[in-house]
Amino acid sequence: MSKLGRVVEAVENYNTFVENEVKRSRTEKKFGQQMVDRWNQIKANIPIGTAPTGLKLPRLALPEIDEAGDITRYLLADGLPGEFPFLNGAYREMYLEPMQNPTIETGTYEKNGDGKKSRLNGSKNGKGNGASAAHNRLAPAAPKPAQAEEPTRLFSGLMLAEDTNARFHFLGAHQRSKRLSTAFDGPTLYGIDSDADGVFGKIGEGGVAVDTVEDMIRLYDGFDLGSPDFSASMTISGPAPIIMAMYIAAAKRRFGPDIVPKLRGTIQADIFKEVQAQNETIFPVEASLRFLTDMMEYTTRNMPRWYPVSISGYHIGEAGSTPVQQAAYTLSNGFAYAEMMAARGLDVNDFGPRLSFFLDCGLDVEYIALTRVSRRIWAIGMRDAFGAGHKAQMFKVHTQTSGRSLVAAEFKNNLTRTAAELMLSYMNGTNSCHSNSADEPFTTPSEEWIRLAAHGQAILLDESGIFKHTMNMLSGSPGMKAVERAVEAAILEEFREIERLGGVMGAVENRYQRSQIQTAAHRYEQQIYSGVRPIIALNKYRNENEEMPEFELARTPRSKQQLQVDRLKKFKAKNARKAEEALNRLAEVVETDENCFPALMEAAEVCSLGQICERLQEVVGRFRPMV
Amino acid sequence: MAAPIRVLTAVPICDGHDSAINTINLEFIRHGIEVVYLGYHRYAQDIVRAAIQEDVRAVGISSYNGGHVEFFVEVVKQLRKRGVDDIAVFGGGGGTITHDDQRVMQKRGVDKIFFAGTSLTGMVDWVHERYGPGKRGSRDGAPADMQLARKLTQIEDAYANGKTPRKPAAKKSSGTRVIGFTGPGGAGKTTLIDELVLRLLHRDDSSRIAILSHDPSVVGEGALLGDRATMINSQHDRVFMRSMATRGQAGGLSPATEDCLQLLAQSGFDYVIIETVGTGQEAMPFQSKLVDQTVLVMNPDYGARLQLQKIVMLDLADIIVVNKSDQERAKTAMSEIERRLQGNSREQQLVSTVAKRHRDTGVDRLCDLLTQPRTSGETASEEPKGRARLRRA
Ligand code: B12
Repeated sequence: MSKLGRVVEAVENYNTFVENEVKRSRTEKKFGQQMVDRWNQIKANIPIGTAPTGLKLPRLALPEIDEAGDITRYLLADGLPGEFPFLNGAYREMYLEPMQNPTIETGTYEKNGDGKKSRLNGSKNGKGNGASAAHNRLAPAAPKPAQAEEPTRLFSGLMLAEDTNARFHFLGAHQRSKRLSTAFDGPTLYGIDSDADGVFGKIGEGGVAVDTVEDMIRLYDGFDLGSPDFSASMTISGPAPIIMAMYIAAAKRRFGPDIVPKLRGTIQADIFKEVQAQNETIFPVEASLRFLTDMMEYTTRNMPRWYPVSISGYHIGEAGSTPVQQAAYTLSNGFAYAEMMAARGLDVNDFGPRLSFFLDCGLDVEYIALTRVSRRIWAIGMRDAFGAGHKAQMFKVHTQTSGRSLVAAEFKNNLTRTAAELMLSYMNGTNSCHSNSADEPFTTPSEEWIRLAAHGQAILLDESGIFKHTMNMLSGSPGMKAVERAVEAAILEEFREIERLGGVMGAVENRYQRSQIQTAAHRYEQQIYSGVRPIIALNKYRNENEEMPEFELARTPRSKQQLQVDRLKKFKAKNARKAEEALNRLAEVVETDENCFPALMEAAEVCSLGQICERLQEVVGRFRPMV
Repeated sequence: MAAPIRVLTAVPICDGHDSAINTINLEFIRHGIEVVYLGYHRYAQDIVRAAIQEDVRAVGISSYNGGHVEFFVEVVKQLRKRGVDDIAVFGGGGGTITHDDQRVMQKRGVDKIFFAGTSLTGMVDWVHERYGPGKRGSRDGAPADMQLARKLTQIEDAYANGKTPRKPAAKKSSGTRVIGFTGPGGAGKTTLIDELVLRLLHRDDSSRIAILSHDPSVVGEGALLGDRATMINSQHDRVFMRSMATRGQAGGLSPATEDCLQLLAQSGFDYVIIETVGTGQEAMPFQSKLVDQTVLVMNPDYGARLQLQKIVMLDLADIIVVNKSDQERAKTAMSEIERRLQGNSREQQLVSTVAKRHRDTGVDRLCDLLTQPRTSGETASEEPKGRARLRRA
């Protein structure tokens, strides 16, 4: 049985355990009384806040129960926010506004995490650069004092490194903390150099072109990479270990070797979801996983503030999966990574807290509770199948509203769709969130629509009273409970199927996840055009006279594309000899069982991304696409 | 019954948005269209080569990551440059392709763009109407590959239209070796062949290879011909690949296969590789006298030993490959098969491979076997040798 099988058992056992405890609390008088006492104690310690209207409200709402069995079930099966199994939230207060005069100490918990909301680049100024914005993610950070950082994650990637750098500086001008999020162009995402045949027109499109360590230096020029106020996020997966090595090389060149343990940020790197949904795998799966886990091992041991992987369901959901498939594949991918790290002899309590998640939120009913259930399964699985402690049990998640739910027909309706999805995301206690712009179907978002998207979050969290006064404001309705139960059962069923196919890896090789996603996507589109799925203004209340709106499209000038090619050629000429040596060394290490990340870091000093990828492909082969 | 429409679909370079095209492929095949799918992240050059070899009626491109005007136009340009004017280019990319873009693209030879919100049936109907039966001329005077591709289409169409073309005598170019691959679905035939192609291309830098690959379909229905998407090494100027649907014929080949094979065998290739659909192995799929060697590719997971007795192909194949030998059961499988083969009275070879592994030595050995200078005793149709001669290569 793989670990996934154990996870299924763990969840089943835990549910049985809860029911037994419920019974016990009803039959064993002493135990029942203990639970009731604990409940009363919890209630007595909840601080009371005041809304602007003067209304007084507890900062944590609890169900109105007083019977020992019900109390036991609530505390064990759901848990308070911040407590196992974390159904109601990874942290105790999440989005609550700070208490003015706290009357009761509530211990340490993370307020705002790594950003309770992402105000995107356009929220204050600046023209949005959207490609990237569309698939941004925020990594929840390690606990830190409340309000230490603004929640803003500046998301950018356009043209060449210096252009993106200017954008970073422009957007961050008035911010204390610098939290940069980087989108890369197509050739970079696929590990191809800018001077390769056939990609010229793609240079700098939809993200920034990065070929060498020199580009990486230009990209973050002027930022103090070792400062506790700085963090970098990089949305890239296929060549992630190489880009990571390049980032470290650039940091070392600027600040010396001591910078490494101070580096803070995140890289997407999740290769399973590439194979299953996003299609940016460049090496065979096993080799990709080896490079990834080599990198994860290195960062776990040497970069305690780095999040080396963002386990992503977003791409799975957007590729057309059902919500249950999304959660099941993402969680099982996560457990598979945990299994690989454990197999390398790493302590689950070291790497566990460095794993974070990224989920999609659309309009289907499952999204009422999908993230809640995911958090619960992760916590139980990590605790009982992996022996993880508190911090490593927490499912920390960034949510993005669904891009696919946004349509071209009467596109301004997309504002409403996104607002509804935001509501669902926050009802699920997401640690951070990205709201898509209404112009999502057409182009990399423009300033106007990014601003509205960001404001949508602010209206929900800051302006409205829905989330800022009381935790659990909307948790635990009978409907939500019904969805939770149905979704949990369906996810476990998916786990069993994956287990039958030999675990995540076996299922991947059988194209299981891919074919399931494709079938679901086909059904989804058929449902739109058969009318089963009403999409307003597309198949219902359609305006036959609608004109297609025109948008201004961002384009990288040819002269800039040429500049990137010229610079790269110069770099290659300058480093030709050293590059060959470094590549040979790298190839040698890759042939052994050793961790190849140190050799990758050396190579990144003198080789281009494309050179490294090509050499690695000579040794391990190319990815054979699955269709 | 009219011949099915054949189209090729793909997603451009540096673009992995394949959800739309996957759905469209499924919708096309449900409605009788045969789709050769090239996959995502594809260069214009690969699309053009494939479109010509497959001699499709049209190329459908799904593009999301920008640069669509340039990319679509590049495909049109390269087709025209090679003198092709009867393969249309159409496609879509949701909201990323604007009406303005479409105007520019159409002016430069793109047939049609489907915008966001087009119904699936709308697209299918359009393809039927626009790319339905119509006369396409021969390609006299065109480069050999193009002529060959068109002749293959004519053969396939003739069979689909109920005619049975006259069978020319089975003869082949001197130096052409024809190798037939068969085996159950999931054994990894396609990967194995692609790895062989890689080696064949490397071993001799002038050799030319033809591949005839098959996917299942029912009469009157479409088919997804997806081998090209995974055969990354075979997208090469020295490889001529053709994907065929079985069009209702059992046994893993198409009614037109034999004629197509004859044509390929006479066209000066060094190797002609023919791959069947994953079949049950109850009979020899290759009746053709043209096939020099037959390879049976098996999965170590064939089930019980009893099952093995029923696999007639184990008696008939020249080479038996146990692929996926990294699986736990591989050792047992090898010895069970070895024992099973010992009763046979012909010379056979048994090879174990892990085709998905880069530079697998088992595939090297298979390549050696297939490139060895020929001896007369090698052909499957030769009379049996006196004694069982099994070699474990
Ligand atoms: C789904 C999606 C994804 C998924 C893709 C999953 C997959 N395997 O396909 C994920 C999340 C992985 C993804 C990733 C990225 N994406 Co994306 N994605 C989308 C999204 C939301 C929907 C596209 C879609 O599949 N729609 C469903 C199809 C069926 O419907 P449709 O698009 O309306 O198409 C209709 C017609 O046009 C027609 N059609 C389409 N193609 C064809 C072809 C033929 C032959 C025919 C006949 C018809 C036809 O059929 C459809 C039915 O009517 C769009 C935004 C949007 N809402 O459209 C962004 C979008 C396309 N993505 C975008 C970007 C930038 C990216 C990334 C580069 C982000 C990054 N920096 O990491 C990555 C790159 C991924 C990669 N490998 O290339 C941008 C492109 C911007 C631009 N061109 O200016 C968009 C527009 C979002 C945005 N505004 O920023 N993405």
